[in-house]
Amino acid sequence: MLTQIPVWRDGPADGPTNMAADECLAEEAIALGGPVVRLYGWTATTVSLGAFQPVAEARSEPAIAEAPLVRRPSGGGAIVHGSDLTYAAAVPKQHPLGGRPQAFYTAFHAALIAALAEWGVVARLWKPEEPDPRAGTNSFFCFDRRAEGDVVASRPGAAPAADDPKIMGSAQRRLAGAVVQHGSLLVRSAPGVGPAARHPGLADLWGSAVDPGAEHLAIRWLEQVAHGLGGQIVARAEPFTDGREDRIAQLAATYASPRWLERR
Amino acid sequence: MAAEPRFAKTHEWARTEDDGLVTVGISAYAVEALTDLVFMQLPAVGKKVKAGESLGEIESVKAVSDIYAPVAGEVVAVNASLPAALETLGADPYGAGWIARIRPDDSSQVAMLMDRAAYDAVVKSQPH
Repeated sequence: MLTQIPVWRDGPADGPTNMAADECLAEEAIALGGPVVRLYGWTATTVSLGAFQPVAEARSEPAIAEAPLVRRPSGGGAIVHGSDLTYAAAVPKQHPLGGRPQAFYTAFHAALIAALAEWGVVARLWKPEEPDPRAGTNSFFCFDRRAEGDVVASRPGAAPAADDPKIMGSAQRRLAGAVVQHGSLLVRSAPGVGPAARHPGLADLWGSAVDPGAEHLAIRWLEQVAHGLGGQIVARAEPFTDGREDRIAQLAATYASPRWLERR
Repeated sequence: MAAEPRFAKTHEWARTEDDGLVTVGISAYAVEALTDLVFMQLPAVGKKVKAGESLGEIESVKAVSDIYAPVAGEVVAVNASLPAALETLGADPYGAGWIARIRPDDSSQVAMLMDRAAYDAVVKSQPH
């Protein structure tokens, strides 16, 4: 019997609520004993910081002066959300994807590359042996960084090049009983932020070749993920937040607190 | 002669020293599984922890993991030089890569952790 992988699609929410729902998703993975996925949006262009990025660095970055900040429980660099497709996936620690970080990244990123190929988009997993024009720089933004397994896209009709843009990055929080991985597919360049915080998205690079809201792409992507795990996705009609409002509000209070945001 | 370290299922080790303090670190397996380490947050000296509570955090390739206290007690010392030399965790995980020293609430707690053979069996059962 195929593993059923529930997929919830949530409407826009603020940063603390989204981080809280992702943590709640990890609890759901433990309760169900298998992978779970949530796709979601943002009520405003929001910058999520990596778990240990200094908040002062964010506040001194003019390109994001107007954007609300939230600190993720996961690592990596800052992401400007609002014109991206954001996802969270969680597995119990004993799941095959729970053992080592890279296997979890690859499961979702390689599946995206396979799905993108159906739209004619050429993308690849970035490898550390590739030349990195940004090597040695301490980039604040996730999409200025390169890590093994990030998804980079070639430009239409062009051969793979060292400056191909990164279109998806993910990060993880490894909890005692589960691993939650969340990440961002950059659909188009973020509005309402300065040039330093704008990075070309899939639609900027490939135009009408890709469905503009990435709706169908998201489905095909998650079907590819499920296929790789020997399972199938089960689209849930209700939002993930339904019935979990109290728990999410409880967790969101922590993510909204100055103590959490300014921990570093 | 120092006692052998004992292990928690969450991959921390603990060793009772001659002065009764418990030295804590993370296992070689955990360091290897996490791969490239980039940041570590140590606990504050004086912090009181329960067994299984977060003692600190460590970031590897965009993945953040908690380091759990293998015993309950008070943190009395931390390896302050470690965050600037994270390679020490891989080079000498049971020696120079120690993370904290805890004054245990109950000195028998360490004996309740796994010995190396039992821990090795846990490691072999981990998903790869």
